[in-house]
Amino acid sequence: MADDKDVLRDVWFGRIPTCFTLNQDEVTEREAEPYYLLLPRVSYLPLVTDKVKKHFLKVMKAEDVEEMWLEYEGTPLKWHYPIGVLFDLHASNTVLPWSITVNECWTQIRLHINDNNFPDRDLLHCTSNSVIEAHFMSSIKEADALKHKSQVVNDMQKKDHKQLWMGLQNDKFDQFWAINRKLMEYPTEEGGFRYIPFRIYQTMSDRPFIQKLFRPVSPEGNVHTLGDLLKEMYPAALPNDGEQKRYQVVIHGIEPLLETPLQWLSEHLSHPDNFLHICVIPTPTD
Amino acid sequence: MKPIFSCSDRGGGPGSEYLDLFMMLPAEMSWMLDEQSFCHCCQLLLQWSQQLKDGWSWEGVQALCVAPEDGDSVRGDIDDDDDDDDDDDDGVCTVSGGSGQVLQYEYHILFSCSYGTPVLYFRAVTLEGRSLSLEEVWSSVHQNFRLRLQQSPLNTITLQEHPLLGQPFFMLHPCRTEEFMRPVLQAAQNQHRPVNYVLSWLSVVGPLVGLEVPLKYSTLLHPAASLGSTEPD
Repeated sequence: MADDKDVLRDVWFGRIPTCFTLNQDEVTEREAEPYYLLLPRVSYLPLVTDKVKKHFLKVMKAEDVEEMWLEYEGTPLKWHYPIGVLFDLHASNTVLPWSITVNECWTQIRLHINDNNFPDRDLLHCTSNSVIEAHFMSSIKEADALKHKSQVVNDMQKKDHKQLWMGLQNDKFDQFWAINRKLMEYPTEEGGFRYIPFRIYQTMSDRPFIQKLFRPVSPEGNVHTLGDLLKEMYPAALPNDGEQKRYQVVIHGIEPLLETPLQWLSEHLSHPDNFLHICVIPTPTD
Repeated sequence: MKPIFSCSDRGGGPGSEYLDLFMMLPAEMSWMLDEQSFCHCCQLLLQWSQQLKDGWSWEGVQALCVAPEDGDSVRGDIDDDDDDDDDDDDGVCTVSGGSGQVLQYEYHILFSCSYGTPVLYFRAVTLEGRSLSLEEVWSSVHQNFRLRLQQSPLNTITLQEHPLLGQPFFMLHPCRTEEFMRPVLQAAQNQHRPVNYVLSWLSVVGPLVGLEVPLKYSTLLHPAASLGSTEPD
């Protein structure tokens, strides 16, 4: 369907306008200007913030530079979550552009991984792009374990895996989807994938996400919807009859209808890592 | 298709339980654990652990996590020097030689529904509370294991977010677990021996990252096989 292809493009090219400022406690040689950038929803922070880092390094002494980490209103941002997920989870009800504070860690020791200020009880370290690549490919493989018992991803050549990563890294939609379309296929006799790769995020409890086995089609042959998934995995997210809606269920910044078939969502609204990342956030009060 | 692995426990003598294995092999011959069986294996492991007093405990939250109590499983050295195995169940172990650093390890066993296997998460801190880096953890892996692990990136130790706690933990990637468990399970089936998937798995992966699994577990699994025992406890 032509419409469906448009959805894939819209998802891929979604952007979040962002303003980066340096944490006030950082010692600089002169005042740092804020840095404005459009961030791709489907990418990862360390992959797209080199320019930000370079900009702020200009006003600092090289020997004082440690591992960069980013924070939003006091919450350290998990770089291994897609940018769009971080935004929808933490910032979607605030005014754009989304303000992010850049924290450089200042200690006497050079470039150690465990310095005094890096929040290593909250954040994973990310020392190079190969760490991001490993994380990304690991998610793809896990998604395929759920969808196809790993058969499709294991049948691919190394160069195909590389093409998925390069497509993401270089923002090349066609290059990426040339390979990814194979991960979105399923035998016609089945109603869809074996299980749907998804994660449900929320900030109301400490648990980072919910991820369990869930089929796109019931044993009786009924197509499962987004509402069916939530009813099974996170019923608190759904409004009771007659009640005001307390929560929004957000994917890529939009609220899909709860009647949407889960298989369709998985094929069209998954992130490049092949997971459907679903955010449950409190409905904003005016 | 339903997972192929189901286990039920049959009472042996009083005070002992073992696991009987009923296997239904699908055409694709893959040995996947389902969540219920995982919990079952863990409960049995816990009972044995309580007998051996080596500190495993069951953490709530959807019954998916098993962790040793505070202060358990302490290793003394992050260098290559071989340590004497510490037979103490609790307590701190200091070493001579090497850096002389005292470390505190924490191990969690979780269930991966994506791979149908248990997964080992762990973290290590110094007594001052400093987290170990990936390099330091690698250096504490025995040389023989290190070579094998490094060759295949997805078999390796990486820093991951703990799925229940949300904090960084080291993880041994589960995607190859089915491969090495297959001959174990097959042999057990051929010999009509009871097997606890989680225990067998742990005895393979645990030593890679400094977690010893006492041999006594196997005598608790096979009470009839332990020599000289007349009455079970």
